[in-house]
Amino acid sequence: MTWLKNAMQQGVWPWLCAGSVAISLLMLGALLALLLTRGLGHFWPAGLDEITLNNGEVVAGEAVREMPLPDQTGSERLYFTGNRDLDDARWRWVAIDTIARQTQPADLLRLERRAWGDFIGYLEAVEVNGERFTGDDAWQQVQQALALPTAQRTHYQLTLRTPQGQTLRQSLATVINVEAPNAMHLGQKLRAWGSEVWQFLSQGPRAANTGGGVWPAIFGTMLMVIVMSVIVTPFGVLAAIYLNEIAHQGPLTRLVRIGVRNLAGVPSIVYGVFGLGVFVYGIGGSLDEWFFDDALPSPTFGTGGLLWASLTLALLTLPVVIVATEEGLARIPEAQREGAVALGATRLEMLTRVVLPMAMPAMLTGVILAVARAAGEVAPLMLVGVAKLAPQMPLDGEFPYLHLERKFMHLGYHLFDTAFHGEDVQAAIPLVYATALLLVLIVLVLNLTAILLRHHLRRQRGSEC
Amino acid sequence: MDITSDTHSTHISRQFNQELEELKTHLMAMGGMVEKQVQDAVFALLENDSRLAEKVRDNDRQVNDLQIQIDDECTRVLARRQPAASDLRLVLAVIRATSDLERIGDEASKIARNALTLSENSNTVRGLVEVRHISEHVRKMLRDSLTAFARFDTELAMQVIREDEFVDGEYGSAMRSLMTFMMEDSRSITSVLSVMWVLRALERVGDHANNLAEHVVYLVKGLDIRHTDPDTLDQQAAPKKS
Amino acid sequence: MLASRHVDHANQAPVTLFPAEQCCLTIDRFSLAYAGKSALQELTLQVPRHRVTAFIGPSGCGKSTLLRAINRLHDLNESVSHSGDITLEGHNIHAADMKVTELRRRVGMVFQTPNPFPMSIYENVAFGLRLQKRLAKRQRDDVIEWALTSAALWDEVKDRLHRSAWQLSGGQQQRLVIARTLAVQPDVLLLDEPASALDPISTLKIEELIRNLKSQLTLVLVTHNMQQAARVSDYTAFLQQGELVEYGPTDHVFTNPRLQRTENYITGRMA
Repeated sequence: MTWLKNAMQQGVWPWLCAGSVAISLLMLGALLALLLTRGLGHFWPAGLDEITLNNGEVVAGEAVREMPLPDQTGSERLYFTGNRDLDDARWRWVAIDTIARQTQPADLLRLERRAWGDFIGYLEAVEVNGERFTGDDAWQQVQQALALPTAQRTHYQLTLRTPQGQTLRQSLATVINVEAPNAMHLGQKLRAWGSEVWQFLSQGPRAANTGGGVWPAIFGTMLMVIVMSVIVTPFGVLAAIYLNEIAHQGPLTRLVRIGVRNLAGVPSIVYGVFGLGVFVYGIGGSLDEWFFDDALPSPTFGTGGLLWASLTLALLTLPVVIVATEEGLARIPEAQREGAVALGATRLEMLTRVVLPMAMPAMLTGVILAVARAAGEVAPLMLVGVAKLAPQMPLDGEFPYLHLERKFMHLGYHLFDTAFHGEDVQAAIPLVYATALLLVLIVLVLNLTAILLRHHLRRQRGSEC
Repeated sequence: MDITSDTHSTHISRQFNQELEELKTHLMAMGGMVEKQVQDAVFALLENDSRLAEKVRDNDRQVNDLQIQIDDECTRVLARRQPAASDLRLVLAVIRATSDLERIGDEASKIARNALTLSENSNTVRGLVEVRHISEHVRKMLRDSLTAFARFDTELAMQVIREDEFVDGEYGSAMRSLMTFMMEDSRSITSVLSVMWVLRALERVGDHANNLAEHVVYLVKGLDIRHTDPDTLDQQAAPKKS
Repeated sequence: MLASRHVDHANQAPVTLFPAEQCCLTIDRFSLAYAGKSALQELTLQVPRHRVTAFIGPSGCGKSTLLRAINRLHDLNESVSHSGDITLEGHNIHAADMKVTELRRRVGMVFQTPNPFPMSIYENVAFGLRLQKRLAKRQRDDVIEWALTSAALWDEVKDRLHRSAWQLSGGQQQRLVIARTLAVQPDVLLLDEPASALDPISTLKIEELIRNLKSQLTLVLVTHNMQQAARVSDYTAFLQQGELVEYGPTDHVFTNPRLQRTENYITGRMA
């Protein structure tokens, strides 16, 4: 127990410090745990219940969560019932006391559809080119057909029955996926989960961003960040070199340096306003007048777009790059510079051959910090070019391949939009968690890449810097 | 640049000051002991005091021990302090001085041994007047050279060096008169030979005192005047104000 | 025959140290000030060719400042002003036709802390060469081997020329820096406390190297370590508060300096 004795002797400060660290870590852990469980849990093929209420009504769906009733007499459970095209509601609160019977029928299906959201019910029959299959045959036909391309599935007509007894005819072409989660074993569920996650990552959004994937948003975010880095790195590095190496170190330089540092603290929406006013309306408007007047009054560059968003974010992150690079430059020992100069190097040779290679890790750190900040920034983008749903990707096979004037999708904005502007909030919540998790992961991957790259650079040189 | 007797007590390191101070004190103690040895030996000879002569002969061991002790201290200072300039010269001068003083001690015990030989001789001993005369000079030289060392006094040291020439002359004439004694009276040859040994020893003491004085000049002025003609010396060592 | 002269503060009389034709660097009434604060005052001394000359003196006495002035390193600092002349082999280093990069090639400089560049051993030595004329790889390899051999480092690094220079020990790094300077074949090598950051064994290796380099070039050494100055230099200049106090053969300065100020400094006494 000596450690305890030592700790007691040191008084209350170590405990306070350790306590604050523990609380911070706990909060971070809680954040990650929440995002992980809610975000990834969304894709898990949960079991489907069919319940009969006391009044004889039948409800089928996925149990989402339970809450106590307002009058404290018990609790009620929220079911996702789907079938919005038939009964105009996808969600149903059921008081647990009123449930008479609850089963998990193995043949209860869940269909992921292109329109109207999911369908939950039973498969009655399949008609293929006039031939009719029922029972297990129908199920096998559907399984085989799902592997076919969409165009060939139009021959398949499904006859579906809701748990309430209504029938519905649906072409298989409008169905993305059919699964019977109650009949699946763990391996199948894992596979289904994996494919759901993959779809989320690789496909575009559906149903007003409440379903489908986020690939355009991922791609838009990445592309915007890359274009931004290409712009901000040379400017930031050159500015830092000027401030640290070339400028006379007088009061003016100090003032500029303080100004740059303070720019990092300006709220990002202010940059958005600046970008809208100067880049979009000012420069973009002029460009349209000069070069794209045949397209007017519909704007080409005179509206938000990838270029303006990247420029605005470059401006926003410029102080980060300058400060990090300057710190890296300042850390290089004077002896290194003198060593180069004493060998007969000019100032330019000294800078390019000795100073810049040594400052590389610091510059990299600056760029990565900038990238991490830009990837998470939403507010200014809403003003200068992000779209809820971009009709075209900003990078495609059409000349000139990179379309800087196009609007693009962004993960942060997608998150915001799904959470607050969706028609179906209940459906949006898990997507919001999943998107947030994805955003965190992207920033994490970017930072890890930078750390590894820096580590590699340092190892190459020995130590220090 | 000339230095003075407190030059060696102005170091930033007080320990170093103390070490150099101890070197000088011990050297002076050794000088005092050697001076006493010479005085006692000559007194024993002149007064025919065989007990005193025996004491001088036995005390030589202490002189030798003191030399070893001081040399050890010098070695330590050299190894640990790496002295430069005047400090280096002080250490070197002390090392050389101990070696000269030890030789003087040897000469004193040689005189004492001859005193013992002569005391066994019942006949009157011829040549004691010369011994008394030269010993006065030599003892003054020894005393002055030690004083010059203690006071960093180059003028006194130069006096000693000049005195040595005089002693050498006295020694020559004393030898010649002793030769006549031997030729006059062949029975006195043994005792006169002993006296000649004593005179020879005294002359050597004078030479060593002369060396001591040269070390003082080296210590104070950084000039090595050993094996230099005394006449040119006067010009070189003349006190020059800078 | 004209004799090299410098003014001794003690008696204001010119003292002859070596014949004028052996003079490599002449510093003539050189004064230097940082932002108006005087750092060197009317310094006059001459540095003999193919000898090691040591500048000693207390911190802030201007010895490093003088060394850097010889390489015109003060050019980087706008607040430095100077007067008087420094002449390298008869050419004024501040003359209009003297290119500063060319001067710095001819006058190499080694600093207190080893400062190899963050590149391979080979590239470090090649750095100065690459700044100048283009050499064929074979030729360059030869120069690099020669420089590393001259710096007594070749045997230690010949198997790892393309490894990072920062993996070498402090002493090896300092010898690498010397090799890097030697590669451009300077006439003068300025050493600013080259061994003060090194352990005693590495220090001895550097000192041995300095003695060996004497046959190839003129060396000027600034050091805090008086024993080091005594061990390696042929001539020693003692500076105090921006003035030259005493300049003479090292043997003389360290056994019997002419001036009390010098004596006080080299024997560690209070002023």
